[in-house]
Amino acid sequence: MNDDDSANKQREAGNRETARLWRAWRTVHELVQDRGYILSEEEVKISLEDFERKFRGGDNQIDKRTMQFSATPSDEMMKRYTNPSTDRDPIPPPPDVGTIFVQFQEGDSIGIKHMRKFAQDLTGGNYHTGILVTSVNITPAALKIIPAVASETKIETFLEADLLVNITHHELVPKHVLLSKEEKTALLQRYRLKDTQLPRIQVGDPVARYLGLRRGQVVKIIRKSETAGRYASYRLTV
Amino acid sequence: MASTQTPKSILKKNTSYPAASEARAERDRETALYHANLIQQRKDVEYEILLSTETLIDYPLATSPYDSGNPSPADAKTFKELLRPFQPSDYDVLITERNINERCGYTLCANPPHKERGGGKYRMVGKNGKGKDFKVVDKKELEKWCSEACAKRALYVRVQLSETAAWERGAWESTIKIDLLDEPKSESDTVVEGLQKLQLTEDVNARKKQGAADLALERGDQKGLAARNGLVDVKILEKDVQREPVAPSLQDEELSDRLDTMHLTLEGHTSSFGSRRNRRHEEDEDEEEASDWIM
Repeated sequence: MNDDDSANKQREAGNRETARLWRAWRTVHELVQDRGYILSEEEVKISLEDFERKFRGGDNQIDKRTMQFSATPSDEMMKRYTNPSTDRDPIPPPPDVGTIFVQFQEGDSIGIKHMRKFAQDLTGGNYHTGILVTSVNITPAALKIIPAVASETKIETFLEADLLVNITHHELVPKHVLLSKEEKTALLQRYRLKDTQLPRIQVGDPVARYLGLRRGQVVKIIRKSETAGRYASYRLTV
Repeated sequence: MASTQTPKSILKKNTSYPAASEARAERDRETALYHANLIQQRKDVEYEILLSTETLIDYPLATSPYDSGNPSPADAKTFKELLRPFQPSDYDVLITERNINERCGYTLCANPPHKERGGGKYRMVGKNGKGKDFKVVDKKELEKWCSEACAKRALYVRVQLSETAAWERGAWESTIKIDLLDEPKSESDTVVEGLQKLQLTEDVNARKKQGAADLALERGDQKGLAARNGLVDVKILEKDVQREPVAPSLQDEELSDRLDTMHLTLEGHTSSFGSRRNRRHEEDEDEEEASDWIM
């Protein structure tokens, strides 16, 4: 009787963990898709059963080591990141985007070693961006690796707990749209502004992190307005 | 009266403005560059500390017959050298990183850390000793080390680290020497040290140079990391005195004048009641009054 009880509890806990991972898995797919990478619908909208079947390891647990995927940017995204040619440099540098690699990291503490290995995996696989999803906080020292390898590959980190729900689907979060460089210059000319005169959004802002915004980019925020229907405002990422 | 005078403008005259602004722009640029360099230096030091931490995670490199109480001289030497720019907080980071990699917190110990059995977040310590020894500590604190001895050794090193950040340290701080708790003085070390101390031919010039360097260090003349490219350029010149020194005598007129107030003199300055200007002002008023009287 007692054994039955504990076995039940264990199964339930396992199920809960599976459900958590499934939700994080789906959110991170939506995130990658919303940024403009190519993902198929069945990849994004995977059901819990399919997810369990795909990633269940030998001991009836989800095997996190197999939870990884990569995606390539769509043409539209490439276009949004292209640098317009100017008089000063007629041949602009290529857009600063590339394949993205997402990995779920297991372990109850993430240190320098794990981070280094992830960075090496990224450079080894020629990935432009990497997203590391962890269940625990990463040590401060390990986070210092990110700027150190920034010239080779861009690393972003997310907590599983932060990905359980997709924050951009909440009704109080307005729609954020990233502007291309051309759109940005057009906007600044239209209102005769310098970019520092725009309102700002921080790089660490949850939505900015979701969209992977970089310093100097401008987002258009579209809010619902009772009087005007829709109201657009612009923010500069700092 | 003043009606004929044109009112004086309160606005700044902007003659010679562009020249001044150019000089100023140049100065601003220099200041900005100076601070940017400081920040860059700081970043460099931080990166160096990060790399050192990464290296020290895998220590010790040498295996038996060496252990934590008797580390290999090479390991101990690099450990001490790499630890130089560390602050105690950086050292704590190193300990956690080593624990994550299943190693004892003491860098020169190859053992895995001790694992506490059972659940619970806290442990009771010092149950056998006196009441004052009794403590309740976090379980994680106990799982940092492989043994009590290693904890002692690691913390012995920690207290020697300077609290000042490496990029702010002066010359005398950046050369701190770190000792290990139970450092074995190998025979070769003692011999070499003795040889260094033993000077067969006393070189006068070298001794002079050493003396000057010591003095400069004491005065803080030697520039530290941060002051290497300071904004101000201070040069101290020695004043050469050519004539023969003459002892003061009481017959000296200047001296005899000052003689009655000399006991009030503080480092050559004689204080008096009221400032000079006040006194002069009083004298003026007296004169005015006198002239009023005549009028």
